[in-house]
Amino acid sequence: MKAFFIIFKKEAVDTLRDRRTLITMIVLPLVIFPLIIGIVTRVSESQEGKAKLKELKVAIVSVEKLPQFEKIILQEKDMVLVGSVDEDSVRSYIKAETLDGAFVFSNRFSKRLVALKPGRLKFYFRSAEGQNIKKERMLKVVDKFEEQLLKERFVKLNLSETTAETINLTEVDIATTQERLGKAIGGFLPYIFVIFCFLGSMYPAIDLGAGEKERGTIETLLTTPVDRFVILLGKFGVVVLTGISSAIIALVGLYLGIRQAGEIPPDVAEVLASVLQPQTIVLLISLLLPLTMFFAGILLSMSMYAKTFKEAQSLITPVNLLIIVPVAVGLIPGVELNSVTALIPILNVSLSTREIVAGTMDFALLTEVYASLVLIAGLSLFSASRLFVKESVIFRG
Amino acid sequence: MIETRNLSKQFKLTRQQKKELGNEFAGSTVNAVSGVNFTAHPGRVFSLLGANGAGKTTTLRMLATMLKPTAGTAQICGFDVVTQAVEVRKRLGFLTGSTGLYDRLTASELVKYYADLHGMDKATFEHRRDEIFDRLDMHEFANRRIGKLSTGMRQKVSITRTIIHDPEVVIFDEPTAGLDVVTARSIIQLIRDFRKQGKTVIFSTHIMGEVNLLSDDLAIIHKGKLCYQGTYQEFGEQMTTKSLEDEFIKIVEEAGK
Repeated sequence: MKAFFIIFKKEAVDTLRDRRTLITMIVLPLVIFPLIIGIVTRVSESQEGKAKLKELKVAIVSVEKLPQFEKIILQEKDMVLVGSVDEDSVRSYIKAETLDGAFVFSNRFSKRLVALKPGRLKFYFRSAEGQNIKKERMLKVVDKFEEQLLKERFVKLNLSETTAETINLTEVDIATTQERLGKAIGGFLPYIFVIFCFLGSMYPAIDLGAGEKERGTIETLLTTPVDRFVILLGKFGVVVLTGISSAIIALVGLYLGIRQAGEIPPDVAEVLASVLQPQTIVLLISLLLPLTMFFAGILLSMSMYAKTFKEAQSLITPVNLLIIVPVAVGLIPGVELNSVTALIPILNVSLSTREIVAGTMDFALLTEVYASLVLIAGLSLFSASRLFVKESVIFRG
Repeated sequence: MIETRNLSKQFKLTRQQKKELGNEFAGSTVNAVSGVNFTAHPGRVFSLLGANGAGKTTTLRMLATMLKPTAGTAQICGFDVVTQAVEVRKRLGFLTGSTGLYDRLTASELVKYYADLHGMDKATFEHRRDEIFDRLDMHEFANRRIGKLSTGMRQKVSITRTIIHDPEVVIFDEPTAGLDVVTARSIIQLIRDFRKQGKTVIFSTHIMGEVNLLSDDLAIIHKGKLCYQGTYQEFGEQMTTKSLEDEFIKIVEEAGK
């Protein structure tokens, strides 16, 4: 046990002094989310702000005068009415951004209203990213117009406004906010878990395996009176520690990113608060631990096999992409945690995280997930230990 | 003391290696070391000579418990290298020309790490460390990271790491390979010191000048087999050529016939 701690301590110090590891383990996960969230929020805020403030130019195309509709438009803030445009030119004006939208009324619009039929109205606009706010602002005048026309119709028919309502529906959703949003947010969390667990473990594993061979330090280590399995365990412990730390730092980064983004919607805040409960954190980390052990075993095995740092990198990079697949499968609608999916590594972490965050975890299934993860973590450590005693691997060249 | 009896090592060939050897080579294994017998005594320097690929490193790696012999036995200080590997390693210092160091540790940290792995207590370690640091004049750079040290300084750290636990047996595998003359000379001096201290020293080389400077006993290995063994004095007396180098080549050529 003493030898394990000696190796663990030395490898941890050595690893934490490696700039590459520090960047992938601490800097990247801590900075990436605040950066992404910050940029996305700023850009979308500025786009939304522009769309909200922009003066909209709209046109009415109608054979008859519609003073009521015109009045509504003129009452709108930052909306101007452009005069006399025919329907044929509407498209070109909107494309040229001379117009933002146009309301084209059918020739028999008023007559149809009088006949208690719906009046026909075409709304021309240009949908593009960030244009939704403009569209909503323009359609608001149609809503107001429709409201006024309805009122007039009810008065004319001497009916109460509630006559049109046949069902007064009240929706009672028994799902808590945590359940509703938790599954969405919980679906995203495994990406962070898995990617940063892997990334955080990657460089230390390469350095402690292939790096040790390339430097020629492995021979000196193997001539010390320490069991090879204990040497491997020391290295394994450091790789697990860096992987878990990286994932936790990424979660902290995500939290900081959300906080700096400005006002958090109350629903999201409620879910975040539930994620930050000690019980949830413990459950998530307990999933993370065997997962990182699984990664550490695989990474160390590949790293031990490689002759050089470079070879290890080229062996491990494709695995990086492979592990994303089960996480992505976990996000497919309809894929739920059950007795079968609970046995599939990585996918089970993805699905369990969703359930834990939503507060709907079935503890029998969670036990199955743990059993599966502990088993594969044990197998990956076993495979690494087998390789570490194999002369053809250690002295491969 | 080091004693080997019929020490042999076979390696399985990889597909690539088989391809490189061509169709004439039918086997799936290669004998890197075959039936090697020798004894290295305390207070004497045993030189293992051989050309590149002759089997020197494989032999030394078996003695250092890194490789398991496929046949035969080897004992270090009476302990078997396979069944009592931990006991062997406790008594062993191993240094190669290609030995690496951890660049991100300081010289002191690295030496402490190996002392800890050898289970040294604090007082013994500190006494031993100061003794070696004094002798090799290492105090000045003891707390500097190894990555920032010169080749000579690095070699001193490497030596300290090898002998910090005061091993009874020291194995040097081409210890001067790639080193400058000054650093190589310091290694030669160190080996002489070990001899004086009564340690068993075994070193492999293909540099005849070093053999001349150091050897008490020597063995020549060719294609995994010992083709000469005796004292350095006997070797000199039996010489039929003008130089050590010529004699070495003659013996190797005769063995190859």
